[in-house]
Amino acid sequence: MKGILDGCLLSIISEKEVYGYELAEKLEGYGFHSFSEGTIYPLLLRMQKEELVTSTLKKSTAGPKRKYYSLTPKGENELKQFKTKWSDLQTTVNNVFNKKTL
Amino acid sequence: MKEFELSKRSQTFIEDLRVYLFSSGKKEEEIDEIVTELESHLMEAEKRGKSTEDIIGKSPKKYMEQLSNEMKIDYKTWLKYYVIIIAGVFAITIIGDILNGPISYSLLEIGGSLVISLLFIMLTFWVFRLVSSRTLTYGVQGLLFFLLAIVPLGLFFGIEFADRSITTPVIEFGTIGTWVAGGITMIFLIGVSIWAKTFILPIVAAFLTLPEYLLGFINMEEEAMLIWSTIITYAGIGAYLLFSLKRTK
Repeated sequence: MKGILDGCLLSIISEKEVYGYELAEKLEGYGFHSFSEGTIYPLLLRMQKEELVTSTLKKSTAGPKRKYYSLTPKGENELKQFKTKWSDLQTTVNNVFNKKTL
Repeated sequence: MKEFELSKRSQTFIEDLRVYLFSSGKKEEEIDEIVTELESHLMEAEKRGKSTEDIIGKSPKKYMEQLSNEMKIDYKTWLKYYVIIIAGVFAITIIGDILNGPISYSLLEIGGSLVISLLFIMLTFWVFRLVSSRTLTYGVQGLLFFLLAIVPLGLFFGIEFADRSITTPVIEFGTIGTWVAGGITMIFLIGVSIWAKTFILPIVAAFLTLPEYLLGFINMEEEAMLIWSTIITYAGIGAYLLFSLKRTK
């Protein structure tokens, strides 16, 4: 399950610049309920280190500055790869469930 | 809306996280960044009625480790602390010895101090990580800090003791060398104090060395003098710590 959350984060970030809390809320909105929200931060730290995402600090209307994440070209690439891998995996798993051999 | 206060649990977690990452040797700017980010996340989540556990999970320790694993260790900062502590140890030793005339140190004393200081930093950071990531009783915490104080002290005594039976080359400073060393030490103590905005180092040095020296002028039995100077030393340092703690609050 590990790489899957990474892929979902990349996909959400690719749509528009988001900050941490927004990201967690969107994940929940899509149906991720059983994880603790903070889990995204170690992943975001790693994706920054691997230069898949970059961040900028922006002022917010209420409270302190927010850190907004956006995808780098490398991140776009990673997301593309993830999507292919995911659809392959999905087909394979479905084949298993439907007892469909190639 | 603006003055929303974090729950006690979240506040404690944020403070502990800072201590944990700091004592894991992470870069200060990176610590600031992730701590502020999490703080505002917790704030927004709590405004919407979520609990601390909803964000960080059931084990703060595990979560701190996860974050720490993704952050680089800042060896430059580690080195900085090491140099400051080492220099502090030497400064306090030199100030204490200078009042008794020309100074000289054996290689064993110098090498021992370097090793003990390194050990002390590692031990300190280990205790900090332990105290910040686990729920420990006050008794256990007290014991850990007691160990932290007693272990280097014991090792220093051990070195002094060993120095009497093991002969290693001795570096003699001579009269002029002693004056120069004293001058450099003074400049260092003042410099560090200004840089760190605290006078703790020179004050500790003064309380460790002056009582014995000043009491030496009074006609007193050696035992009484030892007892009195020890009392003045620790009471003085204690009073200073209490005073500065109150002032910062």
